[in-house]
Amino acid sequence: MMNELHSLTRRAALGVSAALAFALAFSSPARADQAAEDFMSGILDEANIVFEAQDEQTRLDGIETLVNKYVDMKRVAMWVLGQYARQITDAQKEEYFPLFRRYATLVYQEALSDYSGQRLEIVNSVDRSPRDIIINTRFSNLRPNDQYADVTVHWRVYRDGDGEMSIFDAGANGVWLAIEQQSQFKSVIANNGGGTAGIDALIADLKAKLAG
Amino acid sequence: MRGVRGRLALTALASVLMAAGPAAAQLGNTGDVESTTADLERAAGDTGGAEGDPWEGFNRKIFAMNLFVDDNLFVPAAKAYRFVTPKPARKGLSNFLANAASPKTLVNDILQGKPKRAAETTGRFIINSTIGFLGLTDGAATLGIPGHTEDFGQTLAVWGVGSGPYVYLPFFGPSSVRDGFGSAVDIAFDPLIYIDTNPASLARYSRAGATALALREPLIEPLDDIRSKSLDYYASMRSFYMQARKREIADGVTNYEDLPDIGEYEEFDEIE
Repeated sequence: MMNELHSLTRRAALGVSAALAFALAFSSPARADQAAEDFMSGILDEANIVFEAQDEQTRLDGIETLVNKYVDMKRVAMWVLGQYARQITDAQKEEYFPLFRRYATLVYQEALSDYSGQRLEIVNSVDRSPRDIIINTRFSNLRPNDQYADVTVHWRVYRDGDGEMSIFDAGANGVWLAIEQQSQFKSVIANNGGGTAGIDALIADLKAKLAG
Repeated sequence: MRGVRGRLALTALASVLMAAGPAAAQLGNTGDVESTTADLERAAGDTGGAEGDPWEGFNRKIFAMNLFVDDNLFVPAAKAYRFVTPKPARKGLSNFLANAASPKTLVNDILQGKPKRAAETTGRFIINSTIGFLGLTDGAATLGIPGHTEDFGQTLAVWGVGSGPYVYLPFFGPSSVRDGFGSAVDIAFDPLIYIDTNPASLARYSRAGATALALREPLIEPLDDIRSKSLDYYASMRSFYMQARKREIADGVTNYEDLPDIGEYEEFDEIE
């Protein structure tokens, strides 16, 4: 009963905020979400220290720590399954979650370890909804004609029902990591018969990739 | 003779793409959004293709063929090019080719009704072709006029033509029905393909070869990385292409409204 009530109020709250977002979208440009920017700014303070490290392994370890701390990996893990998120069994989840965490961490390490010696700073933010905020960052200490001069690094911050914020996705110049992962994972599942059989194939592929 | 063959190949490519066009258009011939979506889903379901990629089976075959050519020809050539050419010279060649592509960008700037960008393209072409040592340096960028590129596929997009299904083209790689047709039109705008003399053919083929090398060389490591991390390299490349292309058409502005929603599964909130 309490649960139902909770879910009802949450739905009502969601409805109200959706209506608000709708009204805002037509009355004024998306307003910056200060709390989300502050959340990201704190993460960047830590990340910029990690980027300063000369030693690659130190950077990789630092990125892993940040990913563990701030990325809502289970949510991403479910989301990248697309429509198949409804078909994954509990047994498969138990195997899949840790594999996905390792895989996604590797992808983050690969994407971010190149930014050695760089500093990321917040440029602006865009609210897709009160729970889905994009924070745009750029490198602040570049030489003219630097290869990163035209690069915007985006962060997608998710605010859950309880108001807790986490990082959901990261991207550069309009290309997002989780969106690319979803495209791959759905493709692997679909090409292996879909459903639980396809998910088994995905788990096997992840294992092989992480072993190799 | 070679020029004629080149044009024939081009016509063949264009006709394949145009033949594909009506097929795609037929899907939506009822004009009703719901049935169009249903048709597209059925088309996607028929070949096991993903969203926007109803011809996945065929595309994957071309992809495999391109990978073979890439591994055995383009990558070794790009590595050799990197080995024999110092970095400033590679930068010079890539500047030169970018400058030589300015007329194409200018035509499309104008067709898209963007006078400011057309003026930038013209200014850059004049500055770089003169004080920029025939385009080998990008003096205009240093002067504060950054470059951009346009192509006819982007022009069609600005005119409101939808991308149509994803197409993986032999040698050219990822594209769409619209953008593939656009590339064919861009090639048709190129004066060099209408001059049928040996020097013109030489220039045409050298430019094509140089362009392939200059484009492939800086991508050796990034593409290697993507390939080694991918569970499905084809799907990765398709996603990267579709995402990046959308932003390119919007002249570098990212559209956040188009992103897929996070919260489509409400039960995710129960995840601890």
